Amino acid sequence: MTEHTEQNKITKKDLNRIFWRMQLMNVTNNYQSMQAIGFLSSFTPVLERLYADKPDELKTQAMKRHLEFYNSHVNANALIMGVSAAVEETTTEEEKETVTAIKTGLMGPLAGIGDSLLKFTWLPICGSIGASLALNGSVIGPILMFLLYNTVNVGTKYYGIHIGYKQGVQMIEGAGGNFLQRLASMANVVGLMVIGALIASIIKINIDAQITAGDNVIEIQEMIDQVMPGILSLLVTFAVYKIFKRTNGKYAPQLIVGIMILAILLTMAGVLG
Amino acid sequence: MVTSLLVSLWAGICAIDDIGTQMIRRPLLISTVVGLIMGDLQTGLLIGATLEVMWMGVGNVGAYSAPDIITGSAIGTALGILSGGTATAVALAVPTSLLAQQLLILYRSGIVYLNPIANRIAETGNFKKVFRIQYVPMILAFLVRAVPTFLAIYFGAGAIDTAVEALPDSIMDGLSIAGSIIPAVGIGLLMLMMIKKGELWVFLIAGFALAVYLDLSVLPITLIALPLAYLYDLATREKETKPESKSKDSDDFDDDEEDYDL
Repeated sequence: MTEHTEQNKITKKDLNRIFWRMQLMNVTNNYQSMQAIGFLSSFTPVLERLYADKPDELKTQAMKRHLEFYNSHVNANALIMGVSAAVEETTTEEEKETVTAIKTGLMGPLAGIGDSLLKFTWLPICGSIGASLALNGSVIGPILMFLLYNTVNVGTKYYGIHIGYKQGVQMIEGAGGNFLQRLASMANVVGLMVIGALIASIIKINIDAQITAGDNVIEIQEMIDQVMPGILSLLVTFAVYKIFKRTNGKYAPQLIVGIMILAILLTMAGVLG
Repeated sequence: MVTSLLVSLWAGICAIDDIGTQMIRRPLLISTVVGLIMGDLQTGLLIGATLEVMWMGVGNVGAYSAPDIITGSAIGTALGILSGGTATAVALAVPTSLLAQQLLILYRSGIVYLNPIANRIAETGNFKKVFRIQYVPMILAFLVRAVPTFLAIYFGAGAIDTAVEALPDSIMDGLSIAGSIIPAVGIGLLMLMMIKKGELWVFLIAGFALAVYLDLSVLPITLIALPLAYLYDLATREKETKPESKSKDSDDFDDDEEDYDL
């Protein structure tokens, strides 16, 4: 650990500059180093501060250090950059391996949490609320979706950097990690209830066919509705889920085309209407 | 001409958003604006909502590039509005997103050449130069989405129109029915990600029942879900902390009250 002078201390403004710069983090996302270039270009305010009075070779070393392969979730990046800033500030030039170690140690698990919390829970919840309003012809749908999603999207990026810097590594290794896991499982519950509601309100299957027994005409759809309205939607979704489970989530486009063909054939045969 | 230019401009903006701020990037938001540009907000909303749910579980995970829902939404919505239907929009959005996915992979392979450039900048030790590396890829990303969108709308509109008119009604009917079944794909994908434990099924069924029997919309059901999520967290957390607290306190307290202190 080094004593650092006041001018070499990372300021709030530096962290805010990271926030603005990281908005473009994925621009340079490529198949070789993924987000490495993006990480460096977002992270430079910190390096500029810490290496202001250091020789050029050290600056080069610092830049190269952050050009190594890196990939995580966009919102988790904020937290990782905050933590990395704290570590950069408190390590000597000989200890810099720690920075890379912590970065690469965090990017995997946090990417997983970021994906499951934001991409697969919060975004779908916002999307469902927006879509169900939009289906009734309300412009509030997309507006609400935009506001709901981006409050969290922008909020996690902004506070991620600051919290990450302030709390450093302890936060993620200590209670913080546990808290994120719990948040993920709570979000999971909300998300699944929303999905259940979505199945009922968006997937519509109506059977047109009738059974004629003597003089009696039995509407199949009416019969089904008496058992449970919308049960066909539930069954179809369950079938799709089972297919994905077997194929590991692949072949979604093929499945869409398959449903199209099946729906056209069944409509022609007068089963669906 | 002007509309196709405006829509492709919008697609380009969404492209930059997708690799940048990630604030738009979803069908519902993209299609609504396309509808606004083309003067048919209602159809834009409907198409957007359908595509939104259909592509719900679709997204880039790690190094995997998913079907390009941005180009797919923009082109699908624009042509769908021109030929008057959600059905055509869905039918067009899927193949377009798959084609555009290839362009996207090409883009992300192409900008591998930025790595040596970044290294050279690192050699100079000049921090200020690093940020400039973003400009060219941003323009490329804009073009990768804007150009195909423009071509498809400008040249495709007429072709789609005649194709739709030539198709028999029963096929069009079948397609629009398919449009209300296809969201099951997005939902199914999402369920694959979210149902990690068997017990979680009860929440899905509960949400479904609330919507079917009480006719509640998604927003109130989300609010009802919040206390349930809290209770679920309490229940599962207690399970994890119990053995620990027992080993500490079992000598002092053996009352039932202990459980409530948690």
